[in-house]
Amino acid sequence: MEFAPTFFKTLNIPRGEQMHEDKFPGNKFLPYLLIAPSIAVIFIFLIGPFGQSIYESFFFSTPFGTKTIFVGLRNYIRLFSSPDYLNSIVVTFKFSAFVIIVGLSISLAIAQLLNQKIRGVGFYQVALIWTYALSPTIAGVIWASMFAPATGLIPYIVSKLYDGYKLNWMTNGQLALLVVAAAATWKMLGYNIIFFLAGLQNVPGEFLEAAQIDGASSWKAFWRITFPMLSPTTSFLLFVNMLYAFFQVFGLIDIMTHGGPGNATELLVYKLYRDGFIHLNTGYASAQSFVIFFVISIVAIIQLRIVTRRAIYFR
Amino acid sequence: MINIKRNLLIVLALVICLLLLAEIAFAKPVTITFWHAMSGSRLGVLESIIESFNATHPDYEVKPLFTGTYAETLTKYIAAYPTKTGPNIVQVYEVGTQTMIDSDAIIPVYQIPEMLGETWDWAQYVIPITNYYSVDGNLWSMPFNSSTAMLYYNKDLFEAAGLDPNKPPSTWKEMEEYGEKILASGVVDHVYSTGWPDWIFEQTLAYHNHLYADNENGRAGLATKVVFNDDFGQMVVDTWTRLHNKGIYIFGGAEYSANSAFKAGQIAMLIQSTSSLAGILKGSEFKVGTSFLPRFEGYPIGNSIIGGGSLWVTKEQSEEELRGVWEFLKYLGRKDIAIQWHKGTGYFPVSGAALKDLLDEGWFSAEQTFLTAFLQILSGRRDTAASTGVRLGPFVAMREVFVSSLEKSLAGQISPKDALNEAEEKMNLLLKDYLELYGR
Repeated sequence: MEFAPTFFKTLNIPRGEQMHEDKFPGNKFLPYLLIAPSIAVIFIFLIGPFGQSIYESFFFSTPFGTKTIFVGLRNYIRLFSSPDYLNSIVVTFKFSAFVIIVGLSISLAIAQLLNQKIRGVGFYQVALIWTYALSPTIAGVIWASMFAPATGLIPYIVSKLYDGYKLNWMTNGQLALLVVAAAATWKMLGYNIIFFLAGLQNVPGEFLEAAQIDGASSWKAFWRITFPMLSPTTSFLLFVNMLYAFFQVFGLIDIMTHGGPGNATELLVYKLYRDGFIHLNTGYASAQSFVIFFVISIVAIIQLRIVTRRAIYFR
Repeated sequence: MINIKRNLLIVLALVICLLLLAEIAFAKPVTITFWHAMSGSRLGVLESIIESFNATHPDYEVKPLFTGTYAETLTKYIAAYPTKTGPNIVQVYEVGTQTMIDSDAIIPVYQIPEMLGETWDWAQYVIPITNYYSVDGNLWSMPFNSSTAMLYYNKDLFEAAGLDPNKPPSTWKEMEEYGEKILASGVVDHVYSTGWPDWIFEQTLAYHNHLYADNENGRAGLATKVVFNDDFGQMVVDTWTRLHNKGIYIFGGAEYSANSAFKAGQIAMLIQSTSSLAGILKGSEFKVGTSFLPRFEGYPIGNSIIGGGSLWVTKEQSEEELRGVWEFLKYLGRKDIAIQWHKGTGYFPVSGAALKDLLDEGWFSAEQTFLTAFLQILSGRRDTAASTGVRLGPFVAMREVFVSSLEKSLAGQISPKDALNEAEEKMNLLLKDYLELYGR
């Protein structure tokens, strides 16, 4: 926000019309014409449907849309008095916390290891990054069959190791949430590693050498030099991972648990899908989409304010 | 050189003329789109039936499209209908029946012959099946893939556990006793699982002539509340939870996901739709036995109910298309096609004539497992609403409510009693909402 005024001051160009006149003499409207397609896309695909869904959240209608009843705030009132929805909020925050904290820590550790000069580093890099190329469906099927209660490998190993203990994530909600969160984290590892690796390679070696000469241990050098210098990457990844945990894990959940058992893995976005597209209650689902929008905007604003302000940009 | 060129040109011109003629002579066939949810071994059989229809009916071309699970197919249909991009025919599972009846988007099939100036004897189809899809005695959708639930068991595992492979359990008490014996013998870690837990609950109620919802299971008028939350309903959920806690029952998830454990020999028994029969026989390396659903002794006798899907015809089609749709529906009911469908999947053959042919050729004595479902249906009563099946508007959502409550009870999060109370409360709200929209 503060970038623009200073930029114009330094170039000594007056803002506004005159600049347009300079660059596009006689064509006052050309710039507007040029951005019109993007604006149209934003209106048609983002703002329009958004407005529509706010509108629909005040109604209750038949699946085929043959009859619509105005119900005022009833959808919202039901939403917040429903224990299922409150449960869904809690589950979503637990899930996101796991995906963000565990995912980013592991990725950073792996990226740090991959940044060493070792034999065959290229192989390791590819091997660790490729998970990102998997579609959520495949990843979901892999994890689901690994943990399948009667036929899966992991329940089998567990029952051999712990005297017949039966690991069944289809009836154990906490376990199901953990498995889904682990799968989601695993799926995102590749992406996080690439960015951390790029960030690490941008940390100038002189700084680390200087620290070494001054007698800093590599642990200390990492926390005092590398980690702060990575902060732009970290803040970017925080944001991306949050969006991922909130919205993009739909495929995994749908393949693996369908929100179950009970509603132990029913994330906000999955609940919205079920209410809107399986239970065919568009009004209720629209109300949920507005609530999610509201929550995610607040979290995003907080993150952008705090994290980007504190991030250290080098060069 | 020039001669060759000239000849070539003449030949080319002739070919083009012929092609044009052919185009005029053989007008393009009318396309009939058909959305379905048939996966696994069912898909191959369906495709070969459609191919043979297209080959024998050059005026029409049926284009099948797999649109995901039943729930997804219904959702897509509802989304597509207002924009007129929907199919001519859509397959909907029995759960969506009331939604389709109230949708105002379809032509009831009993009206189609009349619209085309034909008459049709609907009694040629198997009555218990057409009953399910009839309103006031008129058939609203074409029965296609009808099934019911039955018990599958692994004869080899029964033998290994020291049980008689020709004596599967017939009551839930025996399920528990057999379960304990099989567990004690150590041949498997769990004894049984079920597909479609929501549907199996409905089956269990109907099998004991117990209503699921008021207004005659929603068949006499829109249901206003569910009525399963009594001593019987609680005993069912109690029993399942107890068997689960003992390790006898392992929760198998939705639809057909429990089948793989049975086929792999990891469990000894499976309660599943009869439509899995062909797939299970093909995919198992052991002797498969089938039998009636287990009963709770001392409770009234009802019947197992019809599940599966039926075909619905979209409104506002051209007469040509409708004629094609009708030809296709008649074709599916033809006895040779019904037989092919039954043998390839395990679904009921829809026509009475097909049943006779199957009997005559000795199919049922050679393939006894295919007979079980018929005998089960025939050995129960069919004169009560409870044994005919449930028809509810928000049924899809209600089933999900039931499954999530059952899962909570199995996981020990809440007691079976609380689980049913929770399910009842949520389901009644859904029914109330539906009445608000459709109540007259």
